[in-house]
Amino acid sequence: MHEPRKIFVADDDPDILEIIRLILQTRGYHVETSSNADELFLCLKEDLPELILMDIWMAGADGRDICSRLKKNLLTAGIPVVFVSANSHIAAITETCHADGFIAKPFEMKILLQTVQDHLRAAS
Amino acid sequence: MISQEPTYEQLVTRVSELTAKLQESSEIIDSIRRGEVDAFIVQNNGKNEIYTLRSADKAYRLFIEKMNQGAVTIGANGVVLYANSSFASLADFPLEQVLGQLFINLVPQSHRRQVIQLIDAAWQNQESRGEISLPGTGGGAVPVSLYLNQLELDGGTALSIIATDMSLQREAQEQKREMEKKDEFITIASHELKTPVTSIKGYIQLLQFGFQQEGNMHAATLLGKVDAQINKLTVLISELLDTRKIENGQLPFHFDHFDLCLLLDEIVEETGRVLKQRLVVEERRPGLILYGDRNKIGQVITNFIDNAGKYSARDTEIIVRIREADGILALSVKDFGIGIPKEQQTKIFDRFFRVTGKKENTYSGLGLGLYISAEIIRRHQGKIGVESEEGKGSEFYFELPVHPAEIKSASA
Repeated sequence: MHEPRKIFVADDDPDILEIIRLILQTRGYHVETSSNADELFLCLKEDLPELILMDIWMAGADGRDICSRLKKNLLTAGIPVVFVSANSHIAAITETCHADGFIAKPFEMKILLQTVQDHLRAAS
Repeated sequence: MISQEPTYEQLVTRVSELTAKLQESSEIIDSIRRGEVDAFIVQNNGKNEIYTLRSADKAYRLFIEKMNQGAVTIGANGVVLYANSSFASLADFPLEQVLGQLFINLVPQSHRRQVIQLIDAAWQNQESRGEISLPGTGGGAVPVSLYLNQLELDGGTALSIIATDMSLQREAQEQKREMEKKDEFITIASHELKTPVTSIKGYIQLLQFGFQQEGNMHAATLLGKVDAQINKLTVLISELLDTRKIENGQLPFHFDHFDLCLLLDEIVEETGRVLKQRLVVEERRPGLILYGDRNKIGQVITNFIDNAGKYSARDTEIIVRIREADGILALSVKDFGIGIPKEQQTKIFDRFFRVTGKKENTYSGLGLGLYISAEIIRRHQGKIGVESEEGKGSEFYFELPVHPAEIKSASA
């Protein structure tokens, strides 16, 4: 039996965190959530996830900065980062921040699952 | 001594010669009067001498006199040597009172100290710039930028002062700020509207998934209908945002390669679930790779199919075709609905336009979908159009250029 794959989700909206967690759990993923950047970096010190799903505009944090920091750090640079946001410039932001993909809000459950699966497959 | 008196015949010849010369001179004077002569060439001791009738700097004088900016020249003593009428208007003085006046006296009291400093700075450093207000003739103070520059003239040095009315620039800046504020508002409003929609949609999909797992298909179907309505709401929010962006020329595009048939399959599966008509893909072109904005092209196809569904009866067919010939790809969506009257067909891609018929109240929408679609296709250097007959149906299509490298066989 394989270890469930670990996914980290950061969003300042607790409902959206809950929804993404519940959706990912339907496929047996191990999900850790955080509503702010500090928690995210704290978690990253302990145990690295295989994929990060992150909002762009978060209270007290900017997903773009976090992504840039992650991509500059040798330890985390290899973890795929996928933006999940209602920002209308999500495609351009994904490109400029060198994020690995994006999911526009509101999203279809199956698109979320498909995107996660694609990125985990590409990373492994 | 023999008399040298001219003969009568000689005198007649002389008179006719002089008359001819007089005639020629009279014609030249007339030409000068009519403005047909710019210069004379006169032969004097074997050399050509040119006499121009226009001063070389007249054109520049006229240019300065007619220009919108105020132009002033002041001497070392601060007295105005020259001013154009634009400056007189800005300073709200009659032009004849400006000439010979001390420049400083033409400036409102509150700005005199600043202008004295500008003049001193220009004398010292060759040039200076600043901003003041002048009374203007429109009632309110006019923001004016001053540019002072030293001039070397024949009779010594002088200062040229160019006064530019900044009201229009200020107004444009104000409008730009206002527009940016509106854009920011729309962007934030769209984000804020989409956030709760994301939560509602998320929970609905989770519930639907749960009911499907339990085998309660009735509940799952009902929740599917709720989900479809949420999708409509999302489209409306996006349309409002996109329209604003088109107006500002800021609709973002993200170009990449994508498989058009795969995109169509996704859309057909998605929209087919909620359509009351039969959606049939009659012709496909598998493996056709396009270079464009996948989401936006998808938006156009979805818009065509949604419209076909909106304007045609239950259980009729909606036919989708993808064709490709001579490097042009065409995607069309044909319905057998109410059709569009001839006179409305040219306006159908205009903003806020909605087809009006006898039952106009039964059609929902903001009249933005086709307007946005037309902009998306335009930005892909394509063509969008419709063929329609009232009472028989409509066929909406778009055509996009396909480059040879983008056509790949399905097996490749």
